[in-house]
Amino acid sequence: MNIRENFKMAVDSIFSNKLRSILTMLGIIIGIAAVIAILAVGNGATSEITKTFNDFGASTISLSVSDEATGNEMITDADIVALKSSIPEITRISPDNTANTTVRSDFESRSALAFSGTPDLQYTNQSMDSTIVSGRYFNQNDYDDAKEVVVISEDTATALFNGRQDVIGETIQLIGNTGNVLNLKIIGIVKGTFQELQGSFDLSQMPLSLALPLITMEKLNPSVAVINSLTVQVTDKNAIESVSNRMVRLLETRHDSVGDDYYTATNFLQALDQVDSVLGLFVNFIAAVAAIALLVGGIGVMNIMLVSVTERTREIGTRKALGATTNTILFQFLMEAVILTLIGGIIGLVLGILLANGISNALSIVPNITLGSVLLVLLFSTAVGIFFGIYPARKAAKLDPIEALRYE
Amino acid sequence: MIQVKDIVKTYTTGSETLVALDTISLEIMAGEFTAIMGPSGSGKSTLMNILGLLDRFDLGTYILNGQNVSDLNDNESAKVRNKEIGFVFQSFNLMPRMSILENVALPLVYAGVKPKERKERALAALERVGLSNRVKHKPNEISGGQKQRVAIARAIVNEPSVLMADEPTGNLDSKTTVDIMRIFQELNTEGTTIVMVTHEPEVALYTKRIVTFRDGALVNDQLQQQKLM
Repeated sequence: MNIRENFKMAVDSIFSNKLRSILTMLGIIIGIAAVIAILAVGNGATSEITKTFNDFGASTISLSVSDEATGNEMITDADIVALKSSIPEITRISPDNTANTTVRSDFESRSALAFSGTPDLQYTNQSMDSTIVSGRYFNQNDYDDAKEVVVISEDTATALFNGRQDVIGETIQLIGNTGNVLNLKIIGIVKGTFQELQGSFDLSQMPLSLALPLITMEKLNPSVAVINSLTVQVTDKNAIESVSNRMVRLLETRHDSVGDDYYTATNFLQALDQVDSVLGLFVNFIAAVAAIALLVGGIGVMNIMLVSVTERTREIGTRKALGATTNTILFQFLMEAVILTLIGGIIGLVLGILLANGISNALSIVPNITLGSVLLVLLFSTAVGIFFGIYPARKAAKLDPIEALRYE
Repeated sequence: MIQVKDIVKTYTTGSETLVALDTISLEIMAGEFTAIMGPSGSGKSTLMNILGLLDRFDLGTYILNGQNVSDLNDNESAKVRNKEIGFVFQSFNLMPRMSILENVALPLVYAGVKPKERKERALAALERVGLSNRVKHKPNEISGGQKQRVAIARAIVNEPSVLMADEPTGNLDSKTTVDIMRIFQELNTEGTTIVMVTHEPEVALYTKRIVTFRDGALVNDQLQQQKLM
């Protein structure tokens, strides 16, 4: 009696009761599909988020000033200089100011988000792509002299100059909320910012984006340029915690507000941890649901195997009379249970993959189905089959041949 | 071939003890065709089960083909059944989902014979019972007489020492009964030892020896002139 024979018998038996087999597998199918889908989506989401954070740089710290702070606690240019000089791990530091403004050229007038900061803004700005297409970013000289220069995105150039891109040296007007006007010379063009939104939004309604030195921005309207947040990059992401603490302490000392908790430093590792733990909670919840489905599915398999053993009592008796040993019968019924759960597992796997793709499309992430999770499913289905199949199989194997042959 | 000596078999139900076989001794030689007769409850089926190694007994010895099989465990008796004994049952006991060929080959599966050889030997066995066509059909597609022929083919496929038939014609009409008895006689002529339990005297006439049981005791054992077809 070999495995092939057993396999064939088990498959024959399962297929001769198609509806019953499918109903029996349902719990397994649902459980496995849920596990696979959630693993795939969870992994996909995690890697998506990790990738996004890595793009920003895992060694980035955001420092913000609490809403409860008064003007005295706001960060000043002197603070920035002090931070940079007293904490050597800081490689880039820039305020993170965004102002709603209007921008005007000879052809067009549009609302715009004006990002302002130190020249390091080129590296710390998370809202605007700073990849230079032509010209240059503003530098320390521009900053120190408060030069009236601006870097605009490709889309901004397109919108303001009727599609032209060769606009370096042209002048645009930035209009603040109070009506002040600042004439700015375009010195650089960076990659467009809202290309990825094309198709889903009316581009003519989107605010344009541009970047200029904070000092220059203060000319437009001093209140527009209040610094209430900083973005800092450090040499080594292991230094993040220590740099964060030292920054907060230094600012508190300089603003005489030790213990007032006005300054908060957050980093993306923390944010990633939070996302991970939320995701982990979600995954655990679904896993619990799936475990219950698998348990119920397993009990269903056991139930149907017990029915099958009873129905086939005479068959078992006959097989024993023809020379089947206890182990042969045990193995036959165990095989049947395992194949039942394994087929359920494979159907569940396919359904789970489809489900994962569906969910991922809706959330626009890439589902991540690993070989590990596939193997896990196959192994687990087999385990469920063995666990819930062993009792019925033993019952079949231990039948007394005479009793079994007499069974009506 | 078969030697049982002083076999005692009792059943206990509650406080009552029923003696099913009371010190039975019997010897059956190779090539014999023996009918075991008696009313129900006489112990003939119990003896058949013991001879077929399906049941154990309390006292006595059983020597089958020179081997003492009195105290075998479940697995050992399964192997001896597979190798030495071919069973034919009253209600055929074919596997409904298997084809006729697969049914006949089943003992060879348990014997560990390779698929190709299994098929050849199963076909040869079917040939011997005159049923070499329709081998791909399922048992529910053939008549009762044909089913019993399939069962006989299955019983002889592993070339056992003895063929044991328990009321093999009990579910068959009289014409088919004659057909089946003819097959048994042919197999016996070719050398197969057959032991058959029956309660029908006219069926027993086709055998060469009749052993009669009553109340767990062997009451009569006589050779007879076989009724030929």
